[in-house]
Amino acid sequence: MKKAVIFTLALTLALTGCSSGLTIFSNYRHLEMIELVRTVTVDSSEDGVTVGIYGTAGEEQEARMYEKSGPSIGVAMNELTLRPLGREAILSHTENMLIGEDLAKTRLDEVLDYVERFSEMRLDTGLLIVRDGTARDLVFGLAGEETPASDVVAGLDRNIARLGRGYVFSCREIAASLAQNGCALVQCVRGEEEEKLFEKRGDLNLAPAGMAVMRPDSTVGFLSDEETLGAMLILGKLRSCNLDVPVDDAVLTLSVDNVKSDIKPVFSKDGKLQRAEIKLSLEANLVSMDGLVDVRTRDVRERAEKALSDKVKSACDAAVRRGPALGFDFLDLGGILTRREPIAMEDMGVSWKEVFPSLPVEVEVESVLMRTYDIIDPPEISGREEGTPWEKLTDSLRDS
Amino acid sequence: MMRGRSAAPAEPEISPDATVSVAALEEVYKDCYDFESRDLHIGGDVRRKARLCFIDGLVSGSDVAEQVIKPLTDPERFGAVTDMKSVIAMLLGGSVYVYTAKSRTKLGELAEDLLNGFCALIFDAERTAVTFEVKSQQRRSVEAPKEEKVVKGAKDAFVETMKVNTTLVRRKLRNTHLKIRQYKLGSRADTAAALIYIEGFTNEGIVAEAERRLSGIRTEGALTSAVIEENIVDNPHSPFPQVISTERSDKFCMNILEGRVGILVDGLPLGFLAPGTFSQFMKVPEDHSGHFIVASALTLLRYFSVALTLLAPAFYVAVAMYHQEMIPTRLMQSMIEAKQQVPFPTAAEVIMMLLAFELLQEAGIRLPSPIGETVSIIGALIVGQSAVEASVVSPVVVVVIALAGIAGYTMPNQDMGSALRLCRFFLVLAAIGFGMFGVALGCAVLLYHLSSLESFGVPYMTPFAGGEGQHLSRALLRHSMTDKKDREPELKTGDGGEAKL
Amino acid sequence: MGKTDRLTERQLTVLIFVSLLSPMIRILPTAAVTLGGRASWLSALAALPAGALLLAILRALTKNAPEGLGLADMAILGWGPVAGRIFAILCALWLTFYGGFLARSAAERLLSTVYPNGTTPVFIVTMLAVSILAAAGLTKTLSRTAEVLMPILLAVILVVLISAAPEVSGENLLPVTYRNWKDILYGAIPIFNVTAAHAYFLFLRGYVTKTTPGKRKVFPWLGLLIFIAFAVTLFTLGTLGTNLSITMENAFFMVIRNIKVFGVVERVEAVVVAIWIVTDFIFLSAILMIVAEVWKTVTGVKRRAFFVWPGAALSGAAAFLIARDAFDFLKWSDYIVPVINLTFTVALIPLALAVGKVRKKY
Repeated sequence: MKKAVIFTLALTLALTGCSSGLTIFSNYRHLEMIELVRTVTVDSSEDGVTVGIYGTAGEEQEARMYEKSGPSIGVAMNELTLRPLGREAILSHTENMLIGEDLAKTRLDEVLDYVERFSEMRLDTGLLIVRDGTARDLVFGLAGEETPASDVVAGLDRNIARLGRGYVFSCREIAASLAQNGCALVQCVRGEEEEKLFEKRGDLNLAPAGMAVMRPDSTVGFLSDEETLGAMLILGKLRSCNLDVPVDDAVLTLSVDNVKSDIKPVFSKDGKLQRAEIKLSLEANLVSMDGLVDVRTRDVRERAEKALSDKVKSACDAAVRRGPALGFDFLDLGGILTRREPIAMEDMGVSWKEVFPSLPVEVEVESVLMRTYDIIDPPEISGREEGTPWEKLTDSLRDS
Repeated sequence: MMRGRSAAPAEPEISPDATVSVAALEEVYKDCYDFESRDLHIGGDVRRKARLCFIDGLVSGSDVAEQVIKPLTDPERFGAVTDMKSVIAMLLGGSVYVYTAKSRTKLGELAEDLLNGFCALIFDAERTAVTFEVKSQQRRSVEAPKEEKVVKGAKDAFVETMKVNTTLVRRKLRNTHLKIRQYKLGSRADTAAALIYIEGFTNEGIVAEAERRLSGIRTEGALTSAVIEENIVDNPHSPFPQVISTERSDKFCMNILEGRVGILVDGLPLGFLAPGTFSQFMKVPEDHSGHFIVASALTLLRYFSVALTLLAPAFYVAVAMYHQEMIPTRLMQSMIEAKQQVPFPTAAEVIMMLLAFELLQEAGIRLPSPIGETVSIIGALIVGQSAVEASVVSPVVVVVIALAGIAGYTMPNQDMGSALRLCRFFLVLAAIGFGMFGVALGCAVLLYHLSSLESFGVPYMTPFAGGEGQHLSRALLRHSMTDKKDREPELKTGDGGEAKL
Repeated sequence: MGKTDRLTERQLTVLIFVSLLSPMIRILPTAAVTLGGRASWLSALAALPAGALLLAILRALTKNAPEGLGLADMAILGWGPVAGRIFAILCALWLTFYGGFLARSAAERLLSTVYPNGTTPVFIVTMLAVSILAAAGLTKTLSRTAEVLMPILLAVILVVLISAAPEVSGENLLPVTYRNWKDILYGAIPIFNVTAAHAYFLFLRGYVTKTTPGKRKVFPWLGLLIFIAFAVTLFTLGTLGTNLSITMENAFFMVIRNIKVFGVVERVEAVVVAIWIVTDFIFLSAILMIVAEVWKTVTGVKRRAFFVWPGAALSGAAAFLIARDAFDFLKWSDYIVPVINLTFTVALIPLALAVGKVRKKY
């Protein structure tokens, strides 16, 4: 019996290389023939879509872009990945997909479907919409001799949340949001011409361009930078960002950190939803000062905190107002309120869709200036030449 | 003494005519230049003779002269004795200064005694001969083990002489219940073998089974370890060792104390221990010389090495050929870059490197010591380096194969290491054909095979499988010596598994 | 039963656990989420009492039966030689088909995850060939293999879950209130269905020796299986959300696809899929072994291995013929097989045992 089994296995092993049909060996790739794709672009074209793949054939090799048009993403990608110029592109290392604004308006669902369905693609691939141009042109413009476009895009992906300019949602997050809310936020970018700091850089620089509120087959609208900031703060996607606030004659640059949001519904006695309350608490650190104010004094600090709170509140108000204006709850306030008070929300008698457009939302922001890093007492502020160090210290404590 | 198969001819008896008996012996040892015989005058009396026979080289000439001939021919000692029966009685009673004296009535026994370093005295008109043990002391001295490095433990390894080996065991296990049963193996070589166990402690079933298997060995001579191993293991077709072989006497004795039976064979500087389980092959006596935490970490490292040596090449093949998505992007880029110039596919690279590794290893073993070590080093460094620079193989493959090879060398038992090296090839083939699916199934088949093995009734994968899952930590870790010690329950020792401390 | 082919109760429970990991990971969490929605991550806990009840009932019905009797023997004793054999043959036929279903399911899963350009026959034939080797061997060998594999599988699951933990979001899991009790119970049905399959292993009861007193008797397979079901559902639902979890055929694998293990290895689904192949191998081997055991009991032939090849061949035929494509196969996987499975495990097998118990045959 064992011999028969071993024979069967050996036969199966031999059959794996059969060229008459698709077998396991069809999944075999020669390592040296691989084109490692890190960025994919999709734009609308006359034929349907134009798909571009941007990758390298090795660490030392120059990054290259290939593109192909076809009636659908699947068809175009299939022709593209099957040995362009003798190489085989693999998409499993794709970090980001850039899609043109025109395509996003009508075929976002097709993009997501392709990513979900195709076994090579990953759901954690970031998705970006390119405004004011095509994704292809942007990638070409970003690519420099020493700055591959993929690195530039990946850099934005890593740092945009720290800039406070947005958040690169993954395909999974976008798909889940579309399924749940009927809409999703997608980060937008554009290419900006800037003076080349060194020769081997690309012609364009990648800049955040707000966020788009997307439906599966249409664009609902776009968020401005302020609205984007507000949305990120409310959704808790902000890691930290620097904001400038005016205090007296100075402008303080504060690093906002540790943002906590508490969103809850307020019901009337008869169970009707009266309003939603958003309370944000955040901590800030003084990064730099343009002008001079004495942050040692409580009074100055309170003014700085108020200025910061006002700025953050303004951004949040803008984001909150945008939802009803667009007609879509892109902040998923309904979901958040339902998680907070599931029974009450279920019992309120009307659906969220009916309530949402006119629901008042109150935003309250509490900021605390935590520290000023290494400098507390700039000499220009203290102006004190007399007094022992002990006297200076006690004076400053008294002032605080 | 138990006999597997007698090496002696048919059993004629000793003739009252000494000439006839001697002639029969000379016939047995015809064309043997080392067979010697001479007449001795008992008590100096030319009328009373005895014939002395021995095999030159096996006996100590000085002992024969001093301990046998001198007292026997001394008129003062034997001058007054008139009949041979009295002479024989005196000889057996200690008048000759030899510590072992035996009386023999059969020519076959006589002939065998000569082969064991005895000299024989044959008397006229008597059907009894007397043999004296006067073995030559020419033997290899007890040295440090060569194949099993010792850091802190005893450095007395077994030698080819079984009596020396049993002495080493006796010195370490001073127990009146220690039994050493002797057997004869081989129809033509009559090799002595000894079965060692502790009566009342070692499981009787294991002892009986070991005895049955030893007695059942059908061979012409037990001159190599494979004769013993392949005849007594449960599954001789498995490449995995199922009895522990060691040249270290301390390891041998430690395992006897655990409840195993030991086998020593004359002519082999090895001791065999049964039952042998997979976890035992991961242990070294050094574990009991160092701190228990360090020893535990090293034991875990060995298990990790098993996985590394088995799976690293197969995993690399599967990932590089079929599942590139698993490789991090940066590493992938450098691998693609490195592979650009290599003309061979990944599968061929890996198989070539594995074979090269085996060739280097074999060459290193076969060549004389100084050259062998140099060839190994040169082969590994220069050939490997040159292969990479000539783009015959990519650097990653060299690293993977080297890692797997080095991991294999951490195996305390060379037989286990060899078996793992063989299985490595099998898994690589499975990976080439089926990718990770093949690796997984290959591992499943390998584990199934290991699970199917038993050693003297004890499951091979004990304590990982079989039994109640107890003592798993003892296999993976070394407990402190101050902890209560329980024996492996599978050995079913006579003290119920609890150590007497 | 051969005198040397003996396993302990613990070994049998470990075999059950490793075998049932295969269908558990296959159907979860999609099946549970489809029925239970957002609250389905609690369904595993709801399935525990039902699973424990079935386990207790089967234990009680077989407790006093003498050693050496398998379910087939007990059915023949309880129902008589004709009816008992008919029942046993019915079980054998169903399990033969089920073996083919398992092989096909494993192949389909591989094609949709890591071998997109492959074909099912290669995987089906290979799986069956390897399983024949194991099924034709001793029962204790298969159980020992499961014992060795069990900690490895648990370690892999643990590493995967730890790596996936950062992606879990409470937003996808909450809110769940008392009003979701029906959803939770609906979601528990497929989980209970999987645990109920342990009833098939009663056919191997004849090989189990009573363990000596004082030593561990059983491995807590049910609790651990339920915990894994809970963790897998929780992590998948928490990562993908309800809608995506229902849409994806292999939602758990989608979660695994996106994790990085300590930043060293990425996208480890190939390793995890390979591990599931091992559980499929164990389960398929056990099924083929059980089928052969039933035929051995029914026919009185002494060598069980005699029936392994024909059983495997029939299972192979079932694997090829069961469905033309993956869509047809889904119907079997989602509806037909679970219903028949429940019928056997919850109704027919306990009934078979109960009749014998009432008639005081054992």
